[in-house]
Amino acid sequence: MSDETKKEIRVVGVLAQFSGKQTLVKAASEVRSKGFKDVEAYSPFPIHGIDGALGIRPTILPWLVLIAGLGGGVLAMAGQWWTNTVDYPYIISGKPMFSLPANIPVTFEVMILSAASVAFTGMLALNRLPRFGQPLLRNNRFLRVTDDGFFLLVSDDEVAEEKIRQALEEAGATDIEVVTESVEESKIPVPLVYGAVILACFALIPPLMIASARGTTSQKPRLHTWFDMDFQPKLKTQTPSNLFADGRAMRPRIKGTVRRGGLVKDTDTGYTSIPAVGTPGGDSVQEWKVEFPMEVTDSMMDRGRQRFNIQCAVCHGKAGYGNGLATIRALELQQGTWIQPTSLHADHVRQQPVGQIFNSITNGVRKMPAYKDQITPEDRWAIVLYVKALQLSQNATLEDVPADMRETLKASE
Amino acid sequence: MNQSQPATAGIVDFLVERRGLEKAGIGFLVIATVIAFFEDSPLGKLSAAYLVAFMFFLSISLGAMFFVILQHLVGAQWSVAIRRIAEILMAPIGLLGVLSLPILVPLLLGSSYPYWWNNAVLRVDDYIVSKKTPYLEATFFVFRCMIYFGVWKIIASYFSRLSRLQDGGPRADLTEQMQRKSAPSMLCFAITVNFAAFDFLMSVDPHWFSSIFGVYYFAGCAVALFATLPIFLFIAQRSGRLGSEVTVEHYHDLGKLLFGFTAFWGYIAFSQYVLIWYANIPEETVWYGAREKGVWMGVSLLLIVGHFVLPFFGLMSRKVRRNRPALLGWACFLLLMHWIDLIWLVLPSVPGAKTGVGLVDLLCLLGLGGLWSASVLRESYAAHLIPIGDPALPKSIRFHAE
Repeated sequence: MSDETKKEIRVVGVLAQFSGKQTLVKAASEVRSKGFKDVEAYSPFPIHGIDGALGIRPTILPWLVLIAGLGGGVLAMAGQWWTNTVDYPYIISGKPMFSLPANIPVTFEVMILSAASVAFTGMLALNRLPRFGQPLLRNNRFLRVTDDGFFLLVSDDEVAEEKIRQALEEAGATDIEVVTESVEESKIPVPLVYGAVILACFALIPPLMIASARGTTSQKPRLHTWFDMDFQPKLKTQTPSNLFADGRAMRPRIKGTVRRGGLVKDTDTGYTSIPAVGTPGGDSVQEWKVEFPMEVTDSMMDRGRQRFNIQCAVCHGKAGYGNGLATIRALELQQGTWIQPTSLHADHVRQQPVGQIFNSITNGVRKMPAYKDQITPEDRWAIVLYVKALQLSQNATLEDVPADMRETLKASE
Repeated sequence: MNQSQPATAGIVDFLVERRGLEKAGIGFLVIATVIAFFEDSPLGKLSAAYLVAFMFFLSISLGAMFFVILQHLVGAQWSVAIRRIAEILMAPIGLLGVLSLPILVPLLLGSSYPYWWNNAVLRVDDYIVSKKTPYLEATFFVFRCMIYFGVWKIIASYFSRLSRLQDGGPRADLTEQMQRKSAPSMLCFAITVNFAAFDFLMSVDPHWFSSIFGVYYFAGCAVALFATLPIFLFIAQRSGRLGSEVTVEHYHDLGKLLFGFTAFWGYIAFSQYVLIWYANIPEETVWYGAREKGVWMGVSLLLIVGHFVLPFFGLMSRKVRRNRPALLGWACFLLLMHWIDLIWLVLPSVPGAKTGVGLVDLLCLLGLGGLWSASVLRESYAAHLIPIGDPALPKSIRFHAE
C-alpha cells in the first residue's frame, strides 16, 4: 500500500481480553474507578451486574414504551370515536354510536403495536444501531466474543494510550491491543445512498397515483379491486327471470293469504258508511269522509310530513308537484311506461275530500299502487293531513298567515 | 434453618399443637350459620357464602398445583427454592374435598341452594333447566366432583411425595420422572379445573353458559397463587424458618407473574364480556344483566378498576416488584379483589343471596380460611421448606447473583 492510497485512520479504543465473566465485571468497575468514562464490555452472553460495573444508568426505554402504549391507546380510541360518531355515524346492531366495549379490541391492538414498535426501534436507536461497520469485527481476537471471549473496550481521546494500557493490565487483562478503523469505512457507502434515493422516489409513485385519482373525476366505472357484495347471485325486484315459469323475479301473493299485518281494519276506510254485506249497492249511500276520523294534532302533522317524505315524495316530489326523483329519472330515461304522477295541487285533487285522498293511498289510483300494506291507517290519515297542508301552502293568501307572522314573512321576501 | 424463636414458639404451639386455627375456623363457621338464620333466606345466604369461600381457597390450592406442574413441565430451575412452598399450598386439596361435602350432601338431599337447578319443580317447568337435566343432576354432579378431587389428590400427592423423596439425597432420576408425569398431569389439571368451574360456579345460573368460563376461573387461580406465594414466603422468612435462600430475585419473578396473570385475568374477563355484549343474545346477556343492577353494578366497576386497572399500573414498575412491602401490599389487595370476584360470580345468581355482601360472607371466608391455613401450617412442619435434595437447588439459590 502506497502513501497516496493510505486511508485516514482513527483510533477506536484499547481492547482488552479477560479470562471470564467475574474478572470482566471486576475489571470494568476498576477501570471506571480510575476515571475512564467510555468503557464498553463485550461478552458471549448477558452478565448480571455488568450494568452497575459499567455505570450504565437505567434505560429510559420502559418509559418510552409506556408513553407509546398509552399514546397509541388514546389515539386509537380518539380515532374510533371520530370515525364512528363524527365522520361517519353508522348504527351497528343497535349499539350506541360510541360504545367502549366495541372499541377496546382495536385500542388494545394499537397499544400493543405502538408499544412494541417503540420498544424495537427505541432499543435500536438507544444502542445507535444499525451501524454500517463495526471495527471490532475486523479484529481476529475479538471474533471469540460469540464463543468464550470477554472484552473491555476503553476509548478516551484525551488520555494517552499507554495510560489506558496500564490501567487494563492492572485490572488483569490477558491481552491488550489498540483497535483502529479507517474513517472512510465508517461512512455510508455512496451506492447505497443513491439506491435509497431511487427507492424513495419509486415509493412515491403509488401515493401520487392515488392523490391524482382522488383529485380528478372519471366517466369510467370504478376499478373493482374487491367485489365485496356488489355482485350477488340474486334476483332483484322488477327484473325478468327464467327461474320461474311466468318469467318474473318477484313472486305474486299466494291466493287466500294475507301478509302479516296486512288485514284491512274497520277503521281502514275513507267512507262515512259502507254498504251492508250482501246488499251490493244497497240502501246506504257511499260518501267520502270530509272530516278526519281522529283529532288533528301537531304530532300527527309531523308524522304525516315524515311519512310523506318517505313514502310519497320519491314520485310526487317533496312539494307534491309530481316531480319526485323517481319521476325525474324515469322521464330522463324516456321510459315509455312511466306516467308522471298527478300534481297534488291540481284543481281536481285540491277539491277532493279527505276520505278520497285516504282511499287513493289505501287502494291506489290508476298506475299508483295500493299502499295499505305498507302504511298503517293512522299513518295514512297523517299523510292526508300533510297533503292538505301542502295544498293550502301552495294556494294561500297573506290572510291565511297568522297576523303576528305576516310581517316576518314580508320581510323575508 | 433457624430454630423457632421463643416469641413465635408460643404462637406456633397454640396454632399447631392445640389446633387453634381449626377451632377458630369452626367457630367462625358456626357463628356464620347462626347469623344466617336471621336472614330472609338462611340457606340461600349461607350456601352462597360458603361456596364463595370454598372456591376462594380451592383456587389458591389449584393455582399452586398449576405452578408445581408447570415448573416440572418446563424444567424450571429459578423456582426450585420456592417450589416447596407451592407444594405445601396445594396440600389442602384433600381437606377441600372433605369441605365440599356441605355443598354436595344437601344437593343429594334435594336442596336447591346454591344451585336452583336442583329444584324438583323448576327442573320440570323451566324449559332450559329441563333440557339440561341429564348433566345438571345431583348424583352425576357429585360423581363428577369425586373425579375432580380424586385427580387433584393424585397429582398433589404424587408431586409432593417425589419431591420429598429427593430430600434424602440428590436424585436426578426423580426430577426426570416428575417431568415425564407433568405433561399428562397438566392435561388432566386443565380439563378438571375447566369442568369444576362450570359445575361449581357457572351452574349457579343454569340458564347461562360461557365456554371461556373455565379459563376465567383458572386466571383467578393463578392470580390467587402468585399473590399468596410471596405472602407465605415472607411469613416463612420473617419467622426464621426460611433463610436467605429466597432472594429478592425470586420475589421479583413472582411479582412479574402476578403482574402477567393480572393482565391475563383482565384479558379473559373482557373476552368473555365483549362477545356476549356484541352478540346481545338474551340467554347470554341475562347473566351480565343481573350484575349491572343495583349494588352489583358498583361491584362490576370495582372489579374492572381494582382487579385490573390499578394493579396493572401498580405492578408495572420493576421498582415496585423488587420492593417487598409494595409487592406484598399489592398481593393482599389482589387477594381481596379475587374474593370479591368470586362473590360477584356467585351471589347475584343465588336466590336469597342477591341483596349484597354481608357478615355471613366474611365469616365463611374466615372459617374456611382457618381450616385451610391450619392444613397448610401442619403440612409445612412435615418437611423442609425448600427441596434440599433437588439437583437444581444451588442454581436456584444463586439465581441472578452469580
